[in-house]
Amino acid sequence: MIVTDARAPDNPITWANDAFVAHTGYGLPELLGRNCRMLQGPGTDAAEIARIGAALAAEEPISAELLNYRKDGTPFWNAMTITPVRDADGVAYFYAAQADMSHTHQLELAMRGTNDELERQVAARTTALSAALEQKTALLHEVDHRVKNNLQVISSLMLLKARRTPEGEARDALQGMAERIGALSTAHRMLYAEGDCTHFDLGEFATELLSDINAGLDADRLRIEAQVEPIAVAAAMAAPLALLIHELTANALHHAFHDGRSGTVSITAQRHADGIRLTVRDDGVGLEAAPPNPAGFGRNLAEMVVRQLRGRIAWAAATPGTRVEIDIPLRGSA
Amino acid sequence: MEIEHAAAPALRILVVEDEALIALELECLLAELGHAIVGVAASSTEAVALGRATAPDVALVDIHLVDGPTGVEVARTLAADPRTSVVFMTANAKRIPGDFAGAIGVIAKPYSERAVEGALAYVAACRTGQRPQGAPDGFRLAPGL
Repeated sequence: MIVTDARAPDNPITWANDAFVAHTGYGLPELLGRNCRMLQGPGTDAAEIARIGAALAAEEPISAELLNYRKDGTPFWNAMTITPVRDADGVAYFYAAQADMSHTHQLELAMRGTNDELERQVAARTTALSAALEQKTALLHEVDHRVKNNLQVISSLMLLKARRTPEGEARDALQGMAERIGALSTAHRMLYAEGDCTHFDLGEFATELLSDINAGLDADRLRIEAQVEPIAVAAAMAAPLALLIHELTANALHHAFHDGRSGTVSITAQRHADGIRLTVRDDGVGLEAAPPNPAGFGRNLAEMVVRQLRGRIAWAAATPGTRVEIDIPLRGSA
Repeated sequence: MEIEHAAAPALRILVVEDEALIALELECLLAELGHAIVGVAASSTEAVALGRATAPDVALVDIHLVDGPTGVEVARTLAADPRTSVVFMTANAKRIPGDFAGAIGVIAKPYSERAVEGALAYVAACRTGQRPQGAPDGFRLAPGL
């Protein structure tokens, strides 16, 4: 604690207690008669000094914190409260009480240092992770691009060979394979076109695939009707489901109307509690009347794919035509 | 598979594609659709030279060419000629810049024959001043078109 004389020139110290003497390292005679700025030094905040000066001039009490220096030059954080003391003629003295806040300031500094270091480490790690992610994303795009390009090359190869093959079984087989690759390509293209590459919309796929097949049909004779709900399925099921829908549709078109008759193939897909029910129905000649087809690749393929998807497939006679019913369980459903 | 192409007018088309098999099959398909192929370029310099020499109605441009991902600049150069409509044809649509480098749209690879047919019919309609409703399947329009 100290008291200064507000009426003497330059507001000198007129009294200091033992604690102040002990803390600053100055003897009482060295303190008396001098202004408190004797405790200031190079690290003292000029703005804080100005704030104190303004309060003194306005004769108002103030709390402030200054970096002060002891006689031996060591700094300490001095938190002070200065109060003007009035008599009948106005302010006669200023009374100031101090507390050493160095410890608190050191803690704050240490904390800030630790925080800065942590933030630096986090920033460094984030940069490293971002770089790794960027690299992986670029790699993924590259792989995606190559898969799509290769599918296009394979499809082009098949079609080129088909064009150079005389009409007949071999040419039909090549074109059939190109169509299967086309179905897989459509699935692949849709799978990675959206941001979500873990799911696949069966409805959207079926609409596009069946439009592709429809475009190749004699519109006066054959028609495809589709009612496929928007059903989200896992990405892993996209390719087998794409093949399945293609096989059943192509199979119906090839066999049910082989004698040149006209008709319709109807495809429906619905989501139910346990999975998907897929129905492919044609109004053609029917299973019994279709010519024997020992190769029967389409039907075989469809059955293999259904087995892979752990589903059930049933071929039945419809009147007229054939009706194929498939139940595919979806994971995560009851 | 027979493809109907009675309605669409014939276009003079430049194919810019470095994959020989894809280019060859595309030529067959375009011929089948009744269009005329004015040239096939595998590199950016070839593409620009052929574009200057032939001023095609439509240029189908892949992004990846023999000399790298130069298709974007090829598109920009070819689209500078008002006589030419540029359409990207790529498996790498993510590389197309925001302004589409002057192209009308993109046919995503792997494409179906119907997608190519639909896209060209759309472009042909645009060139005759029509404003067809909505882009066909497998064809994505440049933003703002």
